[in-house]
Amino acid sequence: MSLKLDYVLRETAGNFRRNVTLTLATVITVTISLTLLGAALLFGDAVDNATVRWKDGVEFIVFVDHDISPELEADIRRQLEESPEVRGFIYVDKDEAYAEFQDIFRDSPEFVDVITPERLPASFRVKPTDTLPERVDELAAAFRTQPGVANVVTASKTIRQIEDLSSGLRQRVIIIAIILLVAASGLILNTIRMALFSRRRDIEVMKLVGATNWFIRVPFMFEGLIQGLIGGVIAIPLIWLTNDYFSVINDDSLSLLRDFTVDSSRVWALGFQMMGLGAIVGTVGSGIAVSRFLDT
Amino acid sequence: MIRLENVTKVYKGEVLALQNASCEVQRGEFVFLVGPSGSGKSTFMRLLNKEEKPDRGRVFVAGRDIGDLSSWKVPFLRRNIGCVFQDFKLLPNKTVVQNVAFALEVIGRPRSVIKTKVPAILELVGLSKKVHNYPDELSGGEQQRVSIARAFVNRPLILLADEPTGNLDPNTSLGIMTLLDRINRTGTTVVMATHDRSIVDKMRRRVVELDRGQIVRDQSRGVYE
Repeated sequence: MSLKLDYVLRETAGNFRRNVTLTLATVITVTISLTLLGAALLFGDAVDNATVRWKDGVEFIVFVDHDISPELEADIRRQLEESPEVRGFIYVDKDEAYAEFQDIFRDSPEFVDVITPERLPASFRVKPTDTLPERVDELAAAFRTQPGVANVVTASKTIRQIEDLSSGLRQRVIIIAIILLVAASGLILNTIRMALFSRRRDIEVMKLVGATNWFIRVPFMFEGLIQGLIGGVIAIPLIWLTNDYFSVINDDSLSLLRDFTVDSSRVWALGFQMMGLGAIVGTVGSGIAVSRFLDT
Repeated sequence: MIRLENVTKVYKGEVLALQNASCEVQRGEFVFLVGPSGSGKSTFMRLLNKEEKPDRGRVFVAGRDIGDLSSWKVPFLRRNIGCVFQDFKLLPNKTVVQNVAFALEVIGRPRSVIKTKVPAILELVGLSKKVHNYPDELSGGEQQRVSIARAFVNRPLILLADEPTGNLDPNTSLGIMTLLDRINRTGTTVVMATHDRSIVDKMRRRVVELDRGQIVRDQSRGVYE
């Protein structure tokens, strides 16, 4: 079967002209759902970045002096191991700290450039048995006065709230986005069905003279592909906009949400993923719509 | 060319459209299907290009049992069967030449073939002067000629005509019959369902009469009744 490009383009252009409003509605729905889904995923990333140090029950971090002697460090370690109030801890050396720092600030190379692994302190990330804030503060204070300890940082209330909130919030936004995406495929399905209905004579004749189902189907699938793609392309700048909004939060409360940022390459990747998803939803939706119509 | 073997077709479990019908049509024959409305003429034709499937019995086209035909092969069966209808089924937003070209385009014929075949067939049906007109600018007879051109442009083995003169006056009908006769003389098998007594009587071709889904008469060089 030879499908000619000019034939497909001509048919698709004709369908677009005939169904301007429906096409518009479809594109807008695709755009909104993809933007929401993208923003939800982006938000998740930002939360991950902000709370990466506070995973798995880590409640406070003991930063040691960056020129600490091995003996003093071993002392602190022993104390953590022997304390009944400590469930466990993770040791993060200078290089690991630097790698994490680089990862979070991928987007700001000028920031990364001025920092070297030597300038970053090693740390113990401590998981206490009792996570009641008052008990954690007491325990943290005990380590603050230890020789060789530069600083002790407890997970701020805000970080805890973000963690609690984010998982629920992210899930909800993703669910809404998926529902919208389903609605968008439904709309694409409907658009195509309308297009098919207005062209049922053409299709009748095509079937009559022996056009294959794929020959009939492809222009419509192409139409869905383009609708999905356009929706996806418009979603990319909108996803960028949400990322800018995150940056604003960042500036407002720098001290609390220092790491609440997402790398720009990640935003691009997400944008293109959303565009691809739009294209798939559009093509598959149309394919289903036409198949129902052909039913041979 | 065409063979029905004990074919029964029931619509929605109760309407008996064909009942144990058997019939054979040789290559190059011209056959009239006659009978009152609802006697099964259209079903007879729809079985041939697999728009319908028989409930019992077998249908052969060009020596092939089309009951075995997988659905993706049906379009290729239909490329060998031209169809003409009472209501023409032309596309109103396409000109005469576009309507005919469309039939070749959608089965993937190269443009060079379309360019030579379409004017030739329009010449044959006597419409070379109206190629750029739209269907609603043509008379009924002219529209039927376009539809015959579209059905025949791909040189099918079989031409099915379902009451092609049903909407036309007697004189115009005669013109259409002359055209179908010419097509038949090129070796194409023609099956035509009709109510038109005068045409059947004048042409004196094979007549198959259907009544309530049964073949009640099969007569070579027959008349309407």
